[in-house]
Amino acid sequence: MRRAVVTLAAATALLACGSATAANGWWTFNRNTNLNSTLTWKWTYPPSPAQYSHSWRAGSGSSANECRRGEGWLPAGWYAQWGHWNHYEGSAIRGRVWWVQDKYCRDGVTKRTELFIHSEETASNGQSCTSTYDDPFCWEREADYYSLGCMKLARPSPVAGFPNDLGSAHSYYHTYGGSSEHGDLPNDAYELYVFS
Amino acid sequence: MAMVAFAGCGDGEQEQARSHPAAPSLPGLYSVGARIFGLPGGPVRLAEPPVTPLAGWLTPAAVPSADGRYLAYNSWRELRHDDPKLSWPDQGIEPGDALATPSIRLYDSRAGTDDVLAEGAFSLAWRADGALAYFKGAERDYRAGLSYVGDVIVRPSLEGAPEVWSSEPGRYIVVGWAGTRLIAYSEHEGEALDLVVFDGPGQMRVLAADSALVAISPNGRQAFVEQGPAQGRPTVRVLELETAREVAALDLTRVDAAVGWVGYAGDWRADRVVASSTSGLAVFHITPGKISLQKALRVAASSVAEPRFVGSSGLHVRAWTSVRRGGVFLECDFTVGACDRTMPLPEARGVHGFPSWRRPLYNPSRPLGTS
Repeated sequence: MRRAVVTLAAATALLACGSATAANGWWTFNRNTNLNSTLTWKWTYPPSPAQYSHSWRAGSGSSANECRRGEGWLPAGWYAQWGHWNHYEGSAIRGRVWWVQDKYCRDGVTKRTELFIHSEETASNGQSCTSTYDDPFCWEREADYYSLGCMKLARPSPVAGFPNDLGSAHSYYHTYGGSSEHGDLPNDAYELYVFS
Repeated sequence: MAMVAFAGCGDGEQEQARSHPAAPSLPGLYSVGARIFGLPGGPVRLAEPPVTPLAGWLTPAAVPSADGRYLAYNSWRELRHDDPKLSWPDQGIEPGDALATPSIRLYDSRAGTDDVLAEGAFSLAWRADGALAYFKGAERDYRAGLSYVGDVIVRPSLEGAPEVWSSEPGRYIVVGWAGTRLIAYSEHEGEALDLVVFDGPGQMRVLAADSALVAISPNGRQAFVEQGPAQGRPTVRVLELETAREVAALDLTRVDAAVGWVGYAGDWRADRVVASSTSGLAVFHITPGKISLQKALRVAASSVAEPRFVGSSGLHVRAWTSVRRGGVFLECDFTVGACDRTMPLPEARGVHGFPSWRRPLYNPSRPLGTS
């Protein structure tokens, strides 16, 4: 796990501000490798321009070609966030998730769709670890950072001791400038920037 | 036409001019923007460029009819520009705003006509007897923040009445016919793909969950499917289409590490299958009950797509990749372990806001006389 430490200035600012409700936050994603990239939650306390941040290791895709649907990592650019759920119950993705908009990839033709920030957990935020190799709702191993295109954060499970990065990101999001709301949030101002 | 040779092994997209005894040839049928080359009557310009934004190259951009007279192709008309650098709110795009209309168009080389076959539709499969299948959206337009759901439609012929084959609306991508069975994807959150088979109207079953199709066997009875590292141990399998029974499998962690894992949209000719791989291309040998890796080839390109065999040796393959100037065709020779690249019409400009897009056009359905 890699964490960018919140600076002393940030800590001081938090103490000075007391409440974090006035914060303004957004995500950034630095693509390094499919297995080891960096998701960051950044925030400010307007009108101060000082930025504070916390980062987690995250995976995305199984290919560095952002145009490969179902394989490539998240395309570069700004994204709107379209929803956040604590108990999402999809067929392939469950639990604590953030849904982001569709995006043309760099070829200008291929559209990537159905993109999320998520982990491997059940809708009730638990773990379902039953099979001999890979359960879709159990974080067992390093390879679970691979995705079909989404960004994935680790979490602990009964069979592996990964850090609770999903829980941490969820907490930072709600505490430091993310929306307190859940569900479809089509006018959500909380955005994501994916670096080239 | 510009021809640039490049070394078969290496990193990145660095081009190296080098002489080569045989200039690379082009795919039999291919597109450069809206221009189509390889049709019997010579090059033509279509009304729209064949593109598949909602499918990538999970399915061909255009499919020729078995007799070569027609070309059915995917088009995408933007109703408003969507700048990938900006978020939708920053462009004033609101939830539910109509962004584009996908359509399937039909070019008739005999009549010289180019008309919409199905509006609000994309991804198609054309059977040897003329039956045509495609996905049709419940709504005509693709809208911001809404999944583009719809049904799988089959027409027995171009003039035949459309029939709904899916039992419920979903996000389907049609790929090809395997005999009388239709192969498609059912897409879920995160671009998760289940490979499904339609045995007839209302008769859909999952052939391989969390898997993608590399190719249909020449006789149309089997499918070569792949599973990447996001779903467990990277694996390729041969499945009987009638029963979904696995007849052969290969754990890709136990072969040449250069393979890594393989991608969808490859080709199956006789007893060989070619697929894109992590480092380039891989050719597999299929025997009863067994898949073995025959050759792996490192390709100096960011990603190789839609490899297809050329000739009967099973060692010559054509594919394409993307570079900054657009799509580039590759011709790869496994006997010498190298690929040459060809960029037809490098001066070509984009059409309707799309960059100049070069892709081979083919029919992945089997059995079929043309490909």
